Amino acid sequence: MNTTLSAILLLSVPGYPLLLAFPALRSRSPWPCHIALLPAVILLAVPAAFSVDLPWLLFGSGLAVGERSRWLLAMAVVLWAAAATLLRAPANQPESNHLTTFFLLTLAGSLGAILATDLVGFFTFSTLMGYGFYGLLVNGGEMAAQRAGRVYLALLILADLALFEALLIVAAVTDDLSFGAAHQAVAPSASLNLYLSMVLIGFALKAGIWPLHFWLLPAFRSARPAAALLLGGVPIATGLLGAVRWLPLGEISSPGLGLALQWLGVGAMLHAIVAGRMQGQLKMLPAYAAIFATGLFITALGAGLADSAAGSRYGDLAHLFIVSLGFGLAVLTVGIGWLAARSPDAIAPAKRAGDPAPWFERWPGAAVRWGAQMGSDTLPRLRGSWLAAAGRLWQIRAWQSALDGGERSLQRWAFAITLLLLLGVAVAFIGALS
Amino acid sequence: MSWDTGMPLLVLASSLLPGLVIFFLPEERVVTRTTLNLAGATLKLALVGVMIWGVLYGHHYETRLPILPGLDLVLRADPLSILFVALSSILWLVTTVYAIGYLEGSPNRSRFFGFFSLCVTATVGVALAGNLITFLLFYELLTLVTYPLIVHRGTEVARRAGRTYLFYTIAGGTLLLLGTVWLYTLAGSLDFTARGFLSGLDGAHHTALVIIFVLLIGGLGVKAALIPLHGWLPQAMVAPAPVSALLHAVAVVKAGAFGIMRVVYDVYGIQFAATLGVTLPLAIVAAVTIIYGSMRALFQDDLKRRLAFSTVSQVAYIVLGIAIVGPVATIGGLVHLVHQGVMKITLFFCAGNLAETLGIHKVSEMNGVGRRMPWTMAAFTIGTFGMIGAPPLAGFISKWYLGVGALDGGQGWVVFILAGSSLLNAGYFLPILYAAWFKAPPDSWPAERSFGRRETAWALLAPPVVTALLTLAAGLLASAPFSPLQWAHFITTLEYAL
Repeated sequence: MNTTLSAILLLSVPGYPLLLAFPALRSRSPWPCHIALLPAVILLAVPAAFSVDLPWLLFGSGLAVGERSRWLLAMAVVLWAAAATLLRAPANQPESNHLTTFFLLTLAGSLGAILATDLVGFFTFSTLMGYGFYGLLVNGGEMAAQRAGRVYLALLILADLALFEALLIVAAVTDDLSFGAAHQAVAPSASLNLYLSMVLIGFALKAGIWPLHFWLLPAFRSARPAAALLLGGVPIATGLLGAVRWLPLGEISSPGLGLALQWLGVGAMLHAIVAGRMQGQLKMLPAYAAIFATGLFITALGAGLADSAAGSRYGDLAHLFIVSLGFGLAVLTVGIGWLAARSPDAIAPAKRAGDPAPWFERWPGAAVRWGAQMGSDTLPRLRGSWLAAAGRLWQIRAWQSALDGGERSLQRWAFAITLLLLLGVAVAFIGALS
Repeated sequence: MSWDTGMPLLVLASSLLPGLVIFFLPEERVVTRTTLNLAGATLKLALVGVMIWGVLYGHHYETRLPILPGLDLVLRADPLSILFVALSSILWLVTTVYAIGYLEGSPNRSRFFGFFSLCVTATVGVALAGNLITFLLFYELLTLVTYPLIVHRGTEVARRAGRTYLFYTIAGGTLLLLGTVWLYTLAGSLDFTARGFLSGLDGAHHTALVIIFVLLIGGLGVKAALIPLHGWLPQAMVAPAPVSALLHAVAVVKAGAFGIMRVVYDVYGIQFAATLGVTLPLAIVAAVTIIYGSMRALFQDDLKRRLAFSTVSQVAYIVLGIAIVGPVATIGGLVHLVHQGVMKITLFFCAGNLAETLGIHKVSEMNGVGRRMPWTMAAFTIGTFGMIGAPPLAGFISKWYLGVGALDGGQGWVVFILAGSSLLNAGYFLPILYAAWFKAPPDSWPAERSFGRRETAWALLAPPVVTALLTLAAGLLASAPFSPLQWAHFITTLEYAL
């Protein structure tokens, strides 16, 4: 592919959503959140791996797409497209415009982090993603969402500080801040342990890894559905990706740290199982699944840090794991949302008796209600007609219930009524003969 | 007089002459006054552009006028002076546009713009000063011409703030004068020289040199608002927003910080200053100022007062960069001279817009203001994130170089100061952004003025948007040619003979 074209394409993947984040630049675009994904979709459609160096950007930066980042990009595109469909708030609300801005800023940060080839670029994009995601969490949300946002923001700032310290450590030993060069420079340095600690703390805070998962549970509990859908694929995935890219895996063997991480990972998994089981709310299942999965990730990361040979093999697997985690958590979140909309009893089973309506009548209504809960107003007229139809169905079913009740009463007296009817028929017949 | 010898005088005259003419213009000559203001600012910018080019390609711009036997008034364009003069010229143009919009219809505009131009003339004089005596003259002139701007509104609070300002700055000026005279008697020269001119002095003078250093830094530390000499700055925030912009970003505090640079680099020389043992105490004073300023900002409800304490903290970054001995930290200090100016002027412009358009003066009145004034608050958001040091904005670049420089110079404790300061910055800036963007707006604003479909007047809106974009560009394009960072690299190369 032409160098200029590939540079433009790579730059536009995070750049185009960033431009559209300005309300004035998207005022005439009916689907800005979807359109913002176009460069990423085109990039996915081009099979070649290519990169662009941007020596004028920050301290000299770059973007690249390769086999690993392609998988991550694909996951991001699917999740963001789904979230964009769910996101649209009811029209004419001021929150809607802000929400779109935060959505696009987060999108730009998330895609940029996937394509970044150096520490500073990744840090910049992940910071943008973090602050944008804070906006997604709290904008128009209730008290619980604002509380969750505050926790997330505080931890984000701490995480960024830790990562900034890590960056300074690297910059003190090398001018080349690309991932590979940074790994080689920091691996033999005297500050290696401090660097590893800062990176692990920073990304553990960003990804919500146990025991630094303070923001994760409130966020899953209070996030609006579009944000909840993105939790796995955006802040958690970006945090895990950061850990993989920043740690000098394959360059060092640190058995002590590796073992500690493995124990931490096992602790996270046990915590997820026990706390999740005790908690009992189906809605929180994705949160505990995330803690479990990130625990698993940390266990494997510990193995990779303990042995450089294992570490060099860890890269591909880690990327696949992150993709699976993003998709898995999204499916789980959607599934539980769906379950809640279809049958609230599944979420709180003791409160109501089962819905007697047949599946073909329940599911369309559930889909409409679920869409409404998600804040989706993508096809308002269609949604309106669906809701009206569902309402009519409910009315019809009320009459049906009355008739059904009458029928059940009739069934109880079926023998007597049959005899009575037969008697009536016989009387009429005899009367006719006579 | 050749082009090269006349250039510094031309740069001075481009603001001095319009300023003098404006004084005598009747109030109603709005168009003439505006034309003179803008023409002067644009001409200065163009001349500075030429000078930048010339300095880069080896031109030696110097004007030397004898004032006393053995003492000359020297105006010289070297890379360090270019950094400050370019900052002042760019921000003066933007501030002039802002001031025209801000003061529209208000009384005493000719007086205001006259002193405004003189203020910039004095700042450019400070920047171009080729020796300590020239520096001192323009530094004192700056004090005198800024006072009428601070008391411009004529209220009792403004007069009190003006008196405080005069008390502090004249006391500071006296210290500076004392130090300068003592130094002259000791060294026989006051010319700024790359890597200083005092290292060759007899060792017997070292104690005297330390005392002189304290006198000079004490005098300059008043304008740079170093603890405990900062008391005038939060009071001076009663001045109109364009004056606040001048005080905090373009002229006064910058003159103090720039003076400290001159004394450390071009009078003592950084290596000699380190040998005398004066750099570590200076770094400690700067560190204390950084934390103290941020902590005071945390509890201010008055927006401009919060920004003023933030300036106390942020300007000390420049001093910290100077005091950490090493080329990387020097780059951090130099580049923050520019970055702090661009970021802080954005914030003061926005504060002025909020006050002029909606009557908002307090942070507690800012709920939902992002919906009413999205462009202003977008600019404010960029400025605050820059101050916090979030990438890719200008403040990130400064903190990066200061942090790496500290590690490079074996002063790891500075990294914790930077981290603590960033936390505190987030603590006093992010609640403002939260209130502005996420809280519901009130039913009515304290004193709303209508500007039709626009959120405010163009002359008020364009300057913060431009400076916010500069904040973004200075960070994002830090490695591009002619960026402040590249210029700071250039200066450091000369200073450390790399």
